[in-house]
Amino acid sequence: MPDSILLELANISAGYGGPRVLHDINIALSAGEFISVIGPNGAGKSTLFKTISGIVTPTSGSITYKGENLLAIEASRRAHLGVAHVPEGRQVFGSMSVLENLELGAYVDKSGADFKQTFEKIISWFPVLGERQQQLAGTLSGGEQQMLAIGRGLAANPDILMLDEPSMGLAPAIADEIFERLIEIHRSTGLSIILVEQRVAEALHFASRAYVLEAGRIILSGNPAELHNDDRIRQAYLGM
Amino acid sequence: MTFTGVRKDFLHIALFGLVYFVLALLVSNSYYLLIMTIVPVWAVMGLSWNLFSGYSGLISFGHAAFFGLGAYLVALCMVVWELNPWVTIPLATVVGGLSGLLVGIPTFRLRGHYFALAMLAYPLALLYIFEWLGYQEVALPMNREAPLLYMQFENPFYYVLLALLLLLFTLVITSLISHSRLGMSLLAIKLDEDAAEAVGINTLYWKLVAITISAALAGAAGGFYAVVLLVVTPLAVFGMLVSAQALIFAMFGGVGTLWGPVLGAIILVPLSEILYARYAADFPGIQGVIYGLAIIAVILFAPQGILWKVRSLLRPGQFRMLGSSASVADFTANESLLAVSQDAHNDTILEVSNLSKAYGGLQATDQLSFSVRQGELLGIIGPNGAGKTTLFNLLNGFVRPDNGSIRFQNKALVNLRPNRICAMGIARTFQVAKPFTHLSVLDNVIVGAYVHTSSRQAAGQIASAAIALVGLQQQCDLPGANLTNKELRLMELARALASRPSLILVDEILAGLDPEAMQEMLVVLQKVRALGITIVIIEHSMQAMVQLVDRFVVLDHGALLAQGSPEDIVKNPAVIEAYLGKKWLENA
Amino acid sequence: MDALQYLENFLQSLVAGLLMGAMYGLMCVGLTIIFGVMRVINFAQGEFMMLGMYFAYFCFAWFGSYAFFDGLWLPFLLALLAGPAVFLVGLVLHRLLINAVTGRQASQLEAQGHYAQLVLTLGIALVLQNGGLFLFGSSPVSVSNELSYSAWEWGPMIGDRVSVFVNQAQTVSAILAVFVVIGFGLLMARTRLGKSLRASADNPDAAIYMGINVDRAHRLAFGFGVGITAIGGGLLASNAPFQPYIGTEYVIIMYAGVVLGGLGSIRGAFLGGLSIGVLQQVSAIILPNQLQNTVIFICFLIIILFRPQGFFGKKDRTA
Repeated sequence: MPDSILLELANISAGYGGPRVLHDINIALSAGEFISVIGPNGAGKSTLFKTISGIVTPTSGSITYKGENLLAIEASRRAHLGVAHVPEGRQVFGSMSVLENLELGAYVDKSGADFKQTFEKIISWFPVLGERQQQLAGTLSGGEQQMLAIGRGLAANPDILMLDEPSMGLAPAIADEIFERLIEIHRSTGLSIILVEQRVAEALHFASRAYVLEAGRIILSGNPAELHNDDRIRQAYLGM
Repeated sequence: MTFTGVRKDFLHIALFGLVYFVLALLVSNSYYLLIMTIVPVWAVMGLSWNLFSGYSGLISFGHAAFFGLGAYLVALCMVVWELNPWVTIPLATVVGGLSGLLVGIPTFRLRGHYFALAMLAYPLALLYIFEWLGYQEVALPMNREAPLLYMQFENPFYYVLLALLLLLFTLVITSLISHSRLGMSLLAIKLDEDAAEAVGINTLYWKLVAITISAALAGAAGGFYAVVLLVVTPLAVFGMLVSAQALIFAMFGGVGTLWGPVLGAIILVPLSEILYARYAADFPGIQGVIYGLAIIAVILFAPQGILWKVRSLLRPGQFRMLGSSASVADFTANESLLAVSQDAHNDTILEVSNLSKAYGGLQATDQLSFSVRQGELLGIIGPNGAGKTTLFNLLNGFVRPDNGSIRFQNKALVNLRPNRICAMGIARTFQVAKPFTHLSVLDNVIVGAYVHTSSRQAAGQIASAAIALVGLQQQCDLPGANLTNKELRLMELARALASRPSLILVDEILAGLDPEAMQEMLVVLQKVRALGITIVIIEHSMQAMVQLVDRFVVLDHGALLAQGSPEDIVKNPAVIEAYLGKKWLENA
Repeated sequence: MDALQYLENFLQSLVAGLLMGAMYGLMCVGLTIIFGVMRVINFAQGEFMMLGMYFAYFCFAWFGSYAFFDGLWLPFLLALLAGPAVFLVGLVLHRLLINAVTGRQASQLEAQGHYAQLVLTLGIALVLQNGGLFLFGSSPVSVSNELSYSAWEWGPMIGDRVSVFVNQAQTVSAILAVFVVIGFGLLMARTRLGKSLRASADNPDAAIYMGINVDRAHRLAFGFGVGITAIGGGLLASNAPFQPYIGTEYVIIMYAGVVLGGLGSIRGAFLGGLSIGVLQQVSAIILPNQLQNTVIFICFLIIILFRPQGFFGKKDRTA
């Protein structure tokens, strides 16, 4: 079904001026799909997202979004087109309140007309954000900040949600809770999600398709059940 | 090897002096001779600024303070005690240097923006103090009967001569410094102050030396300026334009070079003087406007100054290199220079107990205790955000712990500065490589080698041994910025080795390497180990780690999750869960 | 002098200090918004204040004769109008010059562009103050009217012994300054624009992910910053004579206030400026006139050396 493809990366290579971080990446995401990109630290996962959201300019390749050439669009405009990026390390606006963070999430909605409704939805998924809406984001715990970062991404009513290592630095129980919530959001709204994770098991469990990134290259891709039994993953992570 | 560089500079300086001298002989117009006197004075100011700010990267907006003190000292000594300039200009040099030291001691607590702002305040405070003291205008008394003694010559040519001598003297000093350990240390500080500390450079000490010399030169320039102009006012010597001019000449001509400030002064001083003489009546601020426009244009079109711009136009594609670019004829793989003797009575080299560090709500290191045995290769692993790099920052002194202790060879490390810790024998590499980008590979490593020697030759030998060990002989003349990922990592390892450590902290040295390069790196690490050096390595690639290390320490959320041999660790359920997730075990 | 006379002097200086301090506080707010959002130290801030002063001066000279309405209030209106005028100048300068060395362009420069930013704004300062000398002349001018020479008397108190005089022009200026600060504070706190500026200051990358054009946010912050300082200049213009070089000494006064309040905090900057005004006026009781500013510089050095995060602000992350 080529016409339902929402986002397509073709032969993307990128770096930060110095050595190349990504080599020849090909990834496609259909509307309504949940895919995962897994790989050990340093594999280039965050660079991949930064290339999609425009912080990093690729040295070659193309990115097509809703049939348009995404690379021709200035970074901050991409959010207005429905691309939401929940960055690594959460990066909430620490000096601003939880509510203001969510309002900024909805920055793309100039009139603010839909915000009330979206806000209700977000706090139904993450009630703690409702309880703490006047608190400064910098004073939240790691797990709460991650929920806020996701909520901020959802506040834009995006077409794609890019999640960069939502489990980073979180206790396993809290990471589990966040993953449960994500799959609930995906199922109830049909939102397309790309998840970048180093926790392989969770990433494979939730996704319908997964890519394995190692040293800037995609070394494997396919459906989670197959990948789960592939020794190369265990080897890449544990060495034995 | 270094003396050729100095000799070449000296030849250029002598030639320049000769040309300037002959030119001055040919000029008879006293106004032009005055300009030819002022140009070297401002060139000295530019060099003075450049010696400190151009090399160290700390921007001073306060050089007027040293200049003004020199000028007032000479003027007031002549008025009050009839002291002649031959005595007072050297005195102005000493006073300038001391004031630089006094300013530096408190102000080097600051970096970046704050430093620049604080420096602005010193001359302005002095300006008002001198006004209040009643020195709005101090005129030097005329002593026509003893022109030589009081430097009050009928013939303006002699002023040019004296100014030129002052400039030549400053050029010689600058050349010597730029080829010395001081110059190298300052460049390292400018390029990456953290890395400089970590490779054992006492950054505070070298900055103080630099500002003292720089301020001494500014004091001398100020003293001579007073003699030439015969009248001193607070605004003329402490004003913002004085500091600005020093900076502008250096930036315009070429920052961090020997000739840049001279070139800047030679172009801009006559230009502004002549335009001022012609148009001052209609356009009183024309000098300031020219300086302002010059500096704006430089920042926008040639951010490092015209010398660098010309150089890059003449040799396109060539990288801008700083430092003396030493070359070493042969790289003897003299490993004995790097080997460490092991302390037979002590099995534990490093002991970490109850170490804690929190950032806001995040506990980066949590009651962490472990020890490192002498001569072992210990791997530190853990998921992203487990606190591994914070641990290294605690060990090498970048970060101070909230609690706990670190003992290295039975000496306490907490609260020591990184350069001290490096000198004691702990070297490190960085997760994101920190090369001194504009220094050659060799110079990068030589900077590290100065920790235990002050001789350039000895440092060169140690550096070449380290470079030979990691196998970077071919790349030794390349600038740090042009290295591939693998070469960068090797260079950092060589730089760490050059400080002759007993313990090396290696942070993700394999990240981003392809399998072949990874194998090469493992071989090098084994070689380092064979020297008797203890290695602690952080790495994500478990694949490589299990081949390499003797023992693992596993961190999660800043706390110790497990430790033991590689075979045990990869079977440990807690480790598997931390790395691959709980569901992995459920499904397995 | 007896004790009551000291008390009178002190109260008189305190009142004058608070009024002057309110204007300093306003200028500090302008400076801090530029630092807070762009992380740029603007050396030319004093020159934008000077532009505000001359804007008020020349408009007063041109329009004053027409006397559209009661000439008494015209200087204050012109001071407020200096804001939008200099705001536009700021936008243009940002687009032509500042933008080349700040924001995302800065990451490619040495030391994140600090070097280039400091020197570039120094260049702008030199051009503006010396160009000002050409355009405006070097003789001191002022915008004064009846209010500048009128005062309200408080007292006599304590048995007719103590009276405090409150200058009317300064009082009006101080009140306007407070209103502008409050208005701008509300803009930053409440509006979509203000939030986007704060988000750009807090985390520029994340702001881009939200769809905020950070370059534009920087441009607006620069415009607001210099515009607000220009209003402060305009208000100060009806207070004392000035000439084109006035910016240099005020740039230190502004930085002293901003650093005192903690770089980047609006409330801190206003309180910092207020404190500097009081310090300046009160120190004049015991110190000679020429040393008033020296006290401020020394105070500034002490603050920056020992408490660079300031007294009213949060700890600055970039220190």
